[in-house]
Amino acid sequence: MTASATPAPKKVVEILQPEAMPKEESQFAIIRRRFFRHRLATFSLGLLLVIFIAAIFARQLASYGPTEIELTNRFAPPGSVSAESGRTNWLGTDHLGRDYFSRILYAARISLTVAFSVVILSTVIGSLFGAISGYYGGLVDDIAMRFVEFMLTIPELPLLLIISSILLQSPQAIPVPKALIDLMAVLLYLGPREALQVIMVMLVLTAFGWLGVSRLMRGMVLSIKNMEYVEAARALGVSDFGIITRHLIPNAFAPIIVQASLALAGFVITESVLGFLAFGIQDPTPTWGNMLAFTQSYMFEHPWLPLIPGLPIFICAMAFNFVGDGLRDALDPRLKH
Amino acid sequence: MTNYLIRRSFQMLMVLFFSALVTYTLLTLAPGGPWEEILGRQGSETMRIDAEDIARIRAQYELDLDQTWRFTRWLFGWPNGPIRIGEQELLADFQVGCFLPLETTNALGETVIIGCQKPVTLKDLEGRRVSRGVIFGDFGLSWGILRDRPVMDVLWSRIPRTLQLMFTVTVLSLMIGIPLGLISAIRQYSLFDYTVTTLSFLGSSMPTFFFGIILILIFAITFKQWGWFYLPPGDAVGSRDYVVPMLGKVEAGSLLDQLLRMIMPVSVLVFFSVAGWSRFIRSSMLEVLRQDYVRTARAKGLLENVVIFKHAFRNALIPFVTIVVFAIPGMFSGAIVTETIFNWPGMGRLFIDALSRNDYPVSMSIFLIGATLTVIATLIGDILYTIVDPRIRLS
Repeated sequence: MTASATPAPKKVVEILQPEAMPKEESQFAIIRRRFFRHRLATFSLGLLLVIFIAAIFARQLASYGPTEIELTNRFAPPGSVSAESGRTNWLGTDHLGRDYFSRILYAARISLTVAFSVVILSTVIGSLFGAISGYYGGLVDDIAMRFVEFMLTIPELPLLLIISSILLQSPQAIPVPKALIDLMAVLLYLGPREALQVIMVMLVLTAFGWLGVSRLMRGMVLSIKNMEYVEAARALGVSDFGIITRHLIPNAFAPIIVQASLALAGFVITESVLGFLAFGIQDPTPTWGNMLAFTQSYMFEHPWLPLIPGLPIFICAMAFNFVGDGLRDALDPRLKH
Repeated sequence: MTNYLIRRSFQMLMVLFFSALVTYTLLTLAPGGPWEEILGRQGSETMRIDAEDIARIRAQYELDLDQTWRFTRWLFGWPNGPIRIGEQELLADFQVGCFLPLETTNALGETVIIGCQKPVTLKDLEGRRVSRGVIFGDFGLSWGILRDRPVMDVLWSRIPRTLQLMFTVTVLSLMIGIPLGLISAIRQYSLFDYTVTTLSFLGSSMPTFFFGIILILIFAITFKQWGWFYLPPGDAVGSRDYVVPMLGKVEAGSLLDQLLRMIMPVSVLVFFSVAGWSRFIRSSMLEVLRQDYVRTARAKGLLENVVIFKHAFRNALIPFVTIVVFAIPGMFSGAIVTETIFNWPGMGRLFIDALSRNDYPVSMSIFLIGATLTVIATLIGDILYTIVDPRIRLS
C-alpha cells in the first residue's frame, strides 16, 4: 500500500527539475556512510571480522587440538618449535604444555558464540517483554516493570555467581533439550557435558541480560504507541500482536541495536569474569577467562603469560564498544548529546 | 511525602522479602553442604549409619521440617515451641515435619516415602537450636570457611578490610572524578576533554581483571626484575619483611607495608569509578551550561567563576548526589573481582571463597546484606534527591 504511494511524487519532482535533484540515497546507504565516518568503529569492525573468521576456521588454523597436552613442552615461549611434534607454538604453551594459539582460537569460538547467543536471546525476550508492557500499560505494565525494577535492584554479579555455582554442580536442575546440547557440541567441538556447561552459562547471562533491553523497549513503545500510524493500523483491525511485532518493535529498533552491540562487549567481559573466577565454563574447555585465571599463578616466572588470553578479551570488548558507538552515531545522531 | 514514604517502605519490605525468599530457595537447592558430606560417607566401611542416625543428622540441619517452617525459622526464628498463652500450651501436637519417614520399595525398586512413622510436632521444637532469624541479623552457621561458627563472625573478620579499601576508593574517586568532569565540560572539545573522555571510555569498557593483572605485571613483576621501586602484588598485610629500592626495608604489618599494598587495588577501583563519575558530571554539567539561567547570569556580567561554580556546578551536582548514594552498597559486597586478583581479604574475596567451598550460608548472607543495603540506598537516594532539588516532588 505504501509502496505504491511513494514513487508518484518523486516522478513529479524529477520531471520538473531533473538536474537540480540531489542524488537519491537509500536509508541504508546513509547509515553506512555515517558509520564508516567513525574511524575507530570502522577499524574495530575490521578487527572483529578477522577474529570472527579466525574463530570460524579455528579447526583449520589451529595446529593443536583445544585440549591436546604435551607435557615435555611446558611454558614454551611464543614462536618456539615443539621438539616433540615439530609444530610451532605461535603463542607458546601453558602449564600443561597446551598450545596457546590453538586454544585462543577455540576459545574465541566459544566466547563469541556465548556472547552472541545471549545478546540475541536477551534482545528478543527483552523487546517482547518491554513492548507488551509498554503497549498494554495499566496493571500489566505495573506488574511487569515492578518485576524488572526488583530484578535490577538485586546486585547482579553476586547473584550471577551464586546461580552459576549451583547450576554448574547440578546442571540437571534445568532441563535442556537434547537437540540443543548436540547443536552446541557440534558447533563448538565439545563433548555433551561441556556443551551443557556452555548452555548453562548462556542461560545465567540471559537471565539478567534482558532487563535493560525491556526497559529501553518499553520507553520507546510508550513514545511510539500514540503515533498516527499505530492508530491507523489499529483502525484497520490489525491485532495487538501484529501491531507490536510489525509496527512497534521495528520502529524502536535503532536504540535496541545500539544497546545490543554495547551489550556484546558486556557479555564478553561477564563471561570471562565468570570463567576467571572459576564459576563459568571450566577448564579444560578453553575460554579466555579461565585461561587468564591459570596464568595468574605462573605470571611471576613467565610475565608474558597473562597477556595472551587477556588481550583478546580486551580487544574484543573495546571493539564491540567502538562499533556500538559508531552504530549510535549512524542510526540515531540525536542520542549523542 | 508521608504517603510516599509509607508506600516506598512497603515496596522496600516486599523486595527484601522476595530477596530473602530467593536466597532461601537457592540455599535449599544448593548442592553439597554438611548433610551431603555425611551421606557420602555412609557407604564407607568405617561409618555405619542406620535410619535413626540419619534422622538425627537430618534433624540437626532441620531437614526433617516442612519447607514452610524451615523458612520461617530461618527468617525470624519462629516457631520454636508450642504457642504459650499464660500457662497454657496451644497446638503442642501440631505437626511441622517428619522425623522418621515411612519408606517402602516400589515395583521399580526405588525407595518412596509413603507416610510418616514419627512426626515432628511443635512440642519437639522446644529445646532445638534455632537461629534468631536473618531479619535480626543471625545468619546461621557457616558450612565451610569456619565450620559451625556463626556466619556473622566470619563476616566481621572481613568487613574492616573492605571498608578500608572502599572508603579510600570513594573519597579518592570523588576528589578526582568531580574536577575532571567539571573541567572537561567547561573546556568542551579541548585536548583535555578528549583525553578525559577517551580515558573514561577506556575505563568503562575495559575489564577490571585485565587492568588489575596488567598493573601487577608492570609494577610488581617487571619493576622488581629491573630493580626499580616496586609494589607488593597482593594481600592486605605482609607476612615477611621485604626490601624496596628507594624506600629501604619495609617491615611486615607496618603502616608503610599496608599503604604499599593498597596502592594497586585502590588504583584499579578508582580508575573505574572515576571513569563513570567524571562522565556523569561532564554530561550533567554540559546540560546545565545550556540552560537559560546560565546565559542570564553571564549576561548580567557575573564573573565566569561565579557563573560556573555558583550557578552551574551546584545544579549539576543534584543528580550526582543520588548516583553517589547508590554506589554505597557496592562498598559492602566489595569489589569481587578486584579483591580476588589482589588477594585482598575483604568481603568480595570471602564471597568467592565461600562459593568455591560450597559454604552457601556465608555467600547467601553476603548477597542478602548487599541486596538490603542496595534497597535502602535507593530509598535514601530518592529522598535526598527531593531535598537537594525542591522542584521534584515525590508522589
